[in-house]
Amino acid sequence: MKGRCSNSPGLIRGKENCQSDLCEMDDQGCPRCKTTKYRNPSLKLMVNVCGHTLCESCVDMLFVRGSGNCVQCDTPLRKSNFRVQLFEDPAVDKEVEIRKKVLKIYNKRDFDFSNLREYNDYLERVEEIVYNLTNNLEVEGTKQIMEAYQRENRDIIQKNKAKLTREQEELEELLLLEQQGNEQRRLETLQEEQRQLQAKRKSKQALLDELERSHVPATILLAQHKDRAAQLETQIEKQKQVVKTTIFSTGIPMGQTVSLLTVNRLEEVLYHYQPIHMHTYGPPVPELEQLGRLGYLNHVRTAQPQDMAGGYNSGLACHRAIQDAFSGLFHPLG
Amino acid sequence: MFHISSQKKYWTFDNEESLEQLRYEANQKYRNKMLASGKPGVSDAVFLEAHEENVLFRHYEKRLLDFCNAFKPVMPKSVVGTAIMYFRRFYLNNSLMEYHPRTIMLICAYLSCKVDEFNVSSTQFVGNLVQESAAGQERALEQILEYELLLIQQLNFHLVVHTPYRPMEGLLIDIKTRYPLLENPESLRKSVDDFLTRVTLTDSGLLFPPSQIAMTAILNSASRAGLSMESYLTECMGLKEDKETLLKMYDAMRRIKSLMKKYELPKPDEVNAYKVKLERVHADFGTNSNMNG
Repeated sequence: MKGRCSNSPGLIRGKENCQSDLCEMDDQGCPRCKTTKYRNPSLKLMVNVCGHTLCESCVDMLFVRGSGNCVQCDTPLRKSNFRVQLFEDPAVDKEVEIRKKVLKIYNKRDFDFSNLREYNDYLERVEEIVYNLTNNLEVEGTKQIMEAYQRENRDIIQKNKAKLTREQEELEELLLLEQQGNEQRRLETLQEEQRQLQAKRKSKQALLDELERSHVPATILLAQHKDRAAQLETQIEKQKQVVKTTIFSTGIPMGQTVSLLTVNRLEEVLYHYQPIHMHTYGPPVPELEQLGRLGYLNHVRTAQPQDMAGGYNSGLACHRAIQDAFSGLFHPLG
Repeated sequence: MFHISSQKKYWTFDNEESLEQLRYEANQKYRNKMLASGKPGVSDAVFLEAHEENVLFRHYEKRLLDFCNAFKPVMPKSVVGTAIMYFRRFYLNNSLMEYHPRTIMLICAYLSCKVDEFNVSSTQFVGNLVQESAAGQERALEQILEYELLLIQQLNFHLVVHTPYRPMEGLLIDIKTRYPLLENPESLRKSVDDFLTRVTLTDSGLLFPPSQIAMTAILNSASRAGLSMESYLTECMGLKEDKETLLKMYDAMRRIKSLMKKYELPKPDEVNAYKVKLERVHADFGTNSNMNG
């Protein structure tokens, strides 16, 4: 996001004709010291509550002098209000800040409402408030609305806050568990490696000792040693393959008792195929396959080779003609 | 197949009286509409009666048949049959005074070519209107395209028409295979074709299944040629036991034959008199532009 040149209208700071996609240097410039951003790509832009950006050094400059006003819009500022800019467009950052604050108060969830329509209406109101505050429309009125809401729904807000913190705690617990698991695994693999190294060293040492002490010829000893080394290798391989399964694929850890609720059995009638019976109001038509045998095909024009290539055979035309001839023949009419 | 078709469900009626009733109601509906609209010069005498409409209908139907027969490239018989059936169905629920048969006739032919997959381009189609100049043909085409949707709508979007031609072929094949008593069924073909052409000009298509019409055609031609085919129905169709169905078949065939006999070409002087009236109605109250011819 930061690396690309933003071509949206009204946001082009710095070079006007920024054509390329990835112009790192010519990104937004700091409105105060303008040039510093180009020279120092690692310089970060900070954004504050009024939605205007300042590079880090300018922020320090501004507060060294003790005055705390924004360069462009002259709103009084505090140093703590500056946050590192995450988005290319500072207005987005501003909105994100405002949204966080608003949602601290308007923290109802979907199950707090009786139907979807009400929830959507609530969400729309929240969006309106955020929009108004971001674009500085009716700031006073909006603030009053927010305060009124806060007063009315104090207990609900508290309850939801508690819920939220609980969820966050659960998430953190899970994260912690995961981290612990990773740590354990790492330690185990380290230990395994250590053991393997040691085993190899021991066998080498044993070989040297045997070569010194025993009376068996050296070649036999070497052969024995090689054998043992090969055995050790296969052992190591086998151990590597044995993955300790501690957890089922569904995420339930092994050894944990899971309560299995009885699933209701759905008994349904087994489907039996009933062939379709069509009332043709006429005498029965011989089957397509029988036509040749019954002699019908003798009276139909034989199919040319070019017809047969497409899958046509004279039985098809004959069958259709007979069907049409017999259909409705006995149709009862008044 | 006919037995599951929309033709059987919606466009097969019980008797000729119900058809007459529908046509009469269509006529009345138009009359009442015009009388209620209060246009100047509207009176009962200006409008055509149901039987007068019938005469004109037959006249234009014959013209449609001639048009289709003179069509280049040669129109298959099923296309002709479909076109005439559309024409007939349209004027079952609408009055000739409201939509001029000249236009509707061409649209029926055009739609039938499309539905029956007889590929004719629109320029080729209007090229068959030999009396018209090129400009006249253009105008005709415009009119056709304008009213095509109306036709489809009035047909209630039931566009598949089962004509008796394929059942006739099927029955001939069946006779050749299973009924050796009749020596040369091919000899009957010409008179059967003739019969079927004449039958399309009657209301039989709206009253009987096409297979019954084809059966009537074949049996009729056989009896004309002096060949006996009675046992075909009893033996081959398995109707020896089923007397009731056999009787119904004979009854249906009798009715078809009587409908054919009743048909007569409209007399020219009547036609002209009613045509004048029709033109006047269209000129005074109609909203569409007229073509020559």
